[in-house]
Amino acid sequence: MSDAALLRTMLLCRAVEARLAARPDCGFQLFSAGEEAVAAGLCAVLGPGDQLLCSGRSIAPALARGLDPAAVVAELLGRTGGPCRGRAGRGHLAQPSAGFFGAHAVVAGNLSIAAGVALAFQAAARPGIVAVLFGDGAAGAGALHETLNIAALWQLPLLFVCSNNGWSISTPAAAHLAPARVADLARPFGIPAATVDGTDAPAVRDAAAALAAGIRAGGGPAFLEAVSVRLGPHSTSARESRTRADLAALAARDPIARLSAALGEALAAPLRAAADAAADAAFRTAEASPPATADELDDAA
Amino acid sequence: MPPEAPATRRFFREAIARALREEMRRDPSLLLLGQDIGAFGGPYRDFEGLLAEFGPARVRDTPVAEAAMVGLGVGAAAAGARTLVAITYMDFLMPALDPLVNYAAKLRFKTAGQLAAPVVVKTTAGAKGQGVAHSQCLEAWLMNVPGLAVVAPSSPGDAYGLLKTALRAPGPVVFVDHKRLFPMAGPVPDAEAAIPFGLAAIRRAGRDVTLATHGWMTHPTLAAAASLAEAGISAEVVELRSLAPLDIETLAASAARTGALVAVEEGQLPCGVGAEIAFRVRECVPALAVARVGARPVPVSSNPVLEAASLPDAPRIAAAARRLLRPSAGETA
Repeated sequence: MSDAALLRTMLLCRAVEARLAARPDCGFQLFSAGEEAVAAGLCAVLGPGDQLLCSGRSIAPALARGLDPAAVVAELLGRTGGPCRGRAGRGHLAQPSAGFFGAHAVVAGNLSIAAGVALAFQAAARPGIVAVLFGDGAAGAGALHETLNIAALWQLPLLFVCSNNGWSISTPAAAHLAPARVADLARPFGIPAATVDGTDAPAVRDAAAALAAGIRAGGGPAFLEAVSVRLGPHSTSARESRTRADLAALAARDPIARLSAALGEALAAPLRAAADAAADAAFRTAEASPPATADELDDAA
Repeated sequence: MPPEAPATRRFFREAIARALREEMRRDPSLLLLGQDIGAFGGPYRDFEGLLAEFGPARVRDTPVAEAAMVGLGVGAAAAGARTLVAITYMDFLMPALDPLVNYAAKLRFKTAGQLAAPVVVKTTAGAKGQGVAHSQCLEAWLMNVPGLAVVAPSSPGDAYGLLKTALRAPGPVVFVDHKRLFPMAGPVPDAEAAIPFGLAAIRRAGRDVTLATHGWMTHPTLAAAASLAEAGISAEVVELRSLAPLDIETLAASAARTGALVAVEEGQLPCGVGAEIAFRVRECVPALAVARVGARPVPVSSNPVLEAASLPDAPRIAAAARRLLRPSAGETA
């Protein structure tokens, strides 16, 4: 995927999230602003036979994976036009037929699930790999240790990707993680690991491509740490715990501004206009979809 | 099992191994995950012979990592395999409740049917001298979760038939056996047969009181019914077999005939199996006299004296029935 295509993806993510954030019916969301390069770079190396699982910070991963933006927005707004008929929202958004096995809003909860998907691939001799995207907040959980161990023992086709934005809600990584680099957690298991600047989309893509190639060649699991930034608060209901000066420093590391500058305004401006138009169209289509009603529950009972 | 069906006497562990073997042969996507289930044959020898027939790719020994074991089983099931995860002691289901409850039980609903998790978690409940963290019966916790099926056999024949159904179910099933069942033998049908979920079984017919129970407690409850008979009290024993879904119809029909219900379980009484069935049966049979028998509200010690003192047994079950039937005693639930 070209650098321009990466920028196009990131701009769409930002445009959709910005429109959602401005709505009174926004709901409880975790935005990816500042982490779009991780989603775009990772998804650039995933093909139709692969599956992506992620945390509850799922909007950019789903859009980067190529899900129909209108369907994603419908899901976020609780409309039946969403792939989960508005039942799942951001926290559990899924469309496995599109290679997006889905979000799971329990921190570290999707790690062993993703290993299970990879086990099913391996058991059925199915080509393709599984990627699981999680935050640094998940890196202190026992689930990561258990899953790294089994993935390494069984040589599962699994790419661990940690978007290390440095914050677990209000707790800085220095206060919740002993290792300086999350990727160091994978190395004792013999798992190839790399740390990359997660605000540099082409660098994420290239690092992910190298690790994914190893997995596809039968080398077993790999681990990518992408050091990213979280430009806003943890969620739409969480207070911002960082100072204005801190936030200004983070804004200077905005991955979209970075790639736009690298590609030049002449290329970036029309991509930005196209992303805005695509996001507007997605919301228009989504709003035409009927809201979920209590009838959805009859199906579950 | 109809009495006329040809059957052969088998150990409980043999019945489980046979159900696994047949389903492994029928469904090439079925994978087994568990600690010591490979060459060792399972802690209770209930996986014996499976590694030799199906190989290490389908019969997988795992690390001691219950949360990841169930997570992998659930994820693989959601992605097109079918899996059985063996959790040696039900107490160790606790670290694995996250993937089971937060993921598997929700999956079909939250994805609007795009995904489901046909996973069986097979686990062993109950007390047999192993102490406070290896003896618990946690079935009631699981009954509280929409989206989970929970079954608990008391005999080799039912273990075989219920496990067959579990391994064909569309969603997650917790199959609960019990340490004291493994040394037992009993008839298992010679022909392949599955027992549907949601069907209780009347193990002994009676007129005066209904004793409702499940799992290992079926055996002390049958012994209690025999001793009550000597005292002139005719007790009907209904074995639930399936806890979710529950067969309230069979229970209510029995209770309507006898007018009295004693719910017996090895687990704790608060919010327990007995509390649930007593309430639900009373909704159908309003004038019913009900009582519950369960563990005392203390941990289950490995000390045999303390273990026995904390758990229901046949004399306590019979005493509860006698108290319930004595008009002056009233309701004790």
